[in-house]
Amino acid sequence: MSFLPLKERSFTIKIMSEKIYKLLQQGKRIDERSPYEFRKITMQTNVVEKANGSALVSVGSTRILTGIKVELGTPYSDRPNEGVFSVNAELLPLASKSFEPGPPDERGIELARVVDRCIREGKAIDLEKLCIIPGKMVYVLYIDIYVLDYDGNYFDPSVMSAMAALATCTIPKYSATGERVEGENIKVPIRDVPLSATLGIIRDRLLVDPCLVEEESLDTSIVVCLDSASNVVAIQKNSPGHIPFSLMESIINVAEEQISKIRAQFKEVVGVG
Amino acid sequence: MPIYFNDREIVLPGQLLSDDSRRAGEGTYVMDGKVYAATVGAATIRDGKVEVITFRGPYKPAAGDMIIGVVSDIKPIGVEVDLGGHVTALLKVKNVKELASLDLKVGDVVYARVSSSGLKGVLLELNEQFKKINEGVLLRMTPTKIPRLIGKRGSMINMLKKITGCNIMVGTNGFVIVNGPSPAKEFAAISAIRLIEREAHSQGLTDKVMAYLSKLVGGEVSHDTGDKA
Amino acid sequence: MTQVIKPKLIDENGIRLDGRGPTDLRPLRIEVSVLEKSDGSAYVELGKTKVYAAVYGPKEAHPKHLAIPDRAILNCRYHMTSFSTDERKTLGMTRREIELSKVIREALESVVFLEEFPRSAIDVFVEVVQADGGTRTAGLTAASLALADAGIPMRELIAAVAVGKVNGTIILDPSDIEDKYGEADMPIGVAPESNTIVLLQLNGKMTKDEFRHGLELARMGIQKIYQAQREALRRKYGASTTEV
Repeated sequence: MSFLPLKERSFTIKIMSEKIYKLLQQGKRIDERSPYEFRKITMQTNVVEKANGSALVSVGSTRILTGIKVELGTPYSDRPNEGVFSVNAELLPLASKSFEPGPPDERGIELARVVDRCIREGKAIDLEKLCIIPGKMVYVLYIDIYVLDYDGNYFDPSVMSAMAALATCTIPKYSATGERVEGENIKVPIRDVPLSATLGIIRDRLLVDPCLVEEESLDTSIVVCLDSASNVVAIQKNSPGHIPFSLMESIINVAEEQISKIRAQFKEVVGVG
Repeated sequence: MPIYFNDREIVLPGQLLSDDSRRAGEGTYVMDGKVYAATVGAATIRDGKVEVITFRGPYKPAAGDMIIGVVSDIKPIGVEVDLGGHVTALLKVKNVKELASLDLKVGDVVYARVSSSGLKGVLLELNEQFKKINEGVLLRMTPTKIPRLIGKRGSMINMLKKITGCNIMVGTNGFVIVNGPSPAKEFAAISAIRLIEREAHSQGLTDKVMAYLSKLVGGEVSHDTGDKA
Repeated sequence: MTQVIKPKLIDENGIRLDGRGPTDLRPLRIEVSVLEKSDGSAYVELGKTKVYAAVYGPKEAHPKHLAIPDRAILNCRYHMTSFSTDERKTLGMTRREIELSKVIREALESVVFLEEFPRSAIDVFVEVVQADGGTRTAGLTAASLALADAGIPMRELIAAVAVGKVNGTIILDPSDIEDKYGEADMPIGVAPESNTIVLLQLNGKMTKDEFRHGLELARMGIQKIYQAQREALRRKYGASTTEV
């Protein structure tokens, strides 16, 4: 069952859609960016000491805080040698007048599940290294994403902050017999860093990293997540509307180009990429 | 009248401003015969009253205001127009025929005069000043900064229009429309407006904006814009 | 079964676990206008406790039939992120968060001029990003700043702090461990200009003298917090008028 979130039953402001498209035809955007340009990205890690790992990422004015808590648990019965992780996301009412307090609505759940797929299919975490005693004791990672401020595009900074939090996450060390090795911590074993780019489509035009005002005028949008070898590890068309088949090639190419730029910045700030 | 602040001093809610409770103006409140600041703003005396010019705050509709709004609903009684914040105004129509002749749809932007604001809500007037806006960028600004954007007798806004060559419509409710001959000129106007919003309460703003714009737009900039702040 | 060993929270010289004396506040950092999209916002850091507050409003009250004809409805939500505490907090609102939302809301209602905005709503959101004791008082301190930042007319700011009791000594601003293993925790919210209490709770046991002493200690701490609030507002809003 899917109900359009209450606040999203809002209308598009026609003159803005028209202006945005007109500017795009001239290769410009309403905030003076070029069509394939991301807003300024900043990343900070270890911002919440009580969390095992944390990262605060801004893309323009959109700000996402991810924290990771680690516990011990039992593995899934069909994967006895692997650690476990789960991703949750909340669109905090702090962030936008269109986010209502309450349990995550379909947008928050979609965000969590897509980020989960990015990490899982992107094989970001070496889950076998998170196993302590096969079949009995493994690390359980809770990756919790909070949108603090929303100016369009919560997907990309969510993936970035989840990955940055994972890459700097420390967990208590356990021996092969399940004993805590006092005073010793290890890092979460990272194999790859999947990152994403969100593209917006207006008629025949593409833009990257839509800000809020653009989001309100898009025909549709799509999130593309790639690993470091540019394999596609997750895709989500996250809006109603049509994508012409002919545009898909550009979408993947533009995503690849922009993600590699983000990857370079990620590597510089976080240390892995 | 005894006052406890310097002109244009930044005051905070709860700050004592004056002992004369008869002279309490906007942004203040009276308690036990004394006048206190109710908001964060610049304290001053205007028309003999102690007033706090609030830095940021909601729009308070008043009859005579020219507003820009977004059509949010169309009903037989008239057109509902969103003015931002908690204010939805109503443009009443006489009959369905008049409604149809307006040719308005949800999402359209209009410019209109507030005819009244009170128990019946905010009502807009359908007179010769009423306009449907067909093109442009819609910006939202804090309503409290709008007077600064307009300037004394329109000095700031006219300077902006002249230098950028853009048509700029300003709503008292904080909505602004910018429409220009080229994206570069529109961007120049928009960033100048954002500059004014950020620095609304500083001195010498007109000169600063002029200097900023002349760099963006290039070429000669004349200084005959009347009053300077 | 493992024994819970209660740590010694204060020594013979009155030095607490983190090196503070009984009347010391933790390092305090306050910023206003920290978030873009809300109408007003603030951030408060008190030791390791980190709290955001954001205000949306006044806005249309939804649903309309709940709107009050002669004033605004003030809504408040106090919420903690899952990673803010030592043990991961489950998602969703706990009973504690619901209770704290209520007492914070009631404190704020005491100072906001709700009559200025009939039929509307003012939403206040407090989000605790890291919890190390004193989260509701830091939240209330931040919320009142966020309201001021939004330009919502109010009688005055509210400054809040907690006092506790460890090993028989009344202390100012207990940290999480002092709260957990201490004998009492008393959060207090004050309107400093009128010198009135707008939030007051006690969890634990105090003698009447200890209670009086706790109130006095709180008043001292409140003055420091109020000072920091005013400085934060002036830093944000004062800068623009110093140019000539």
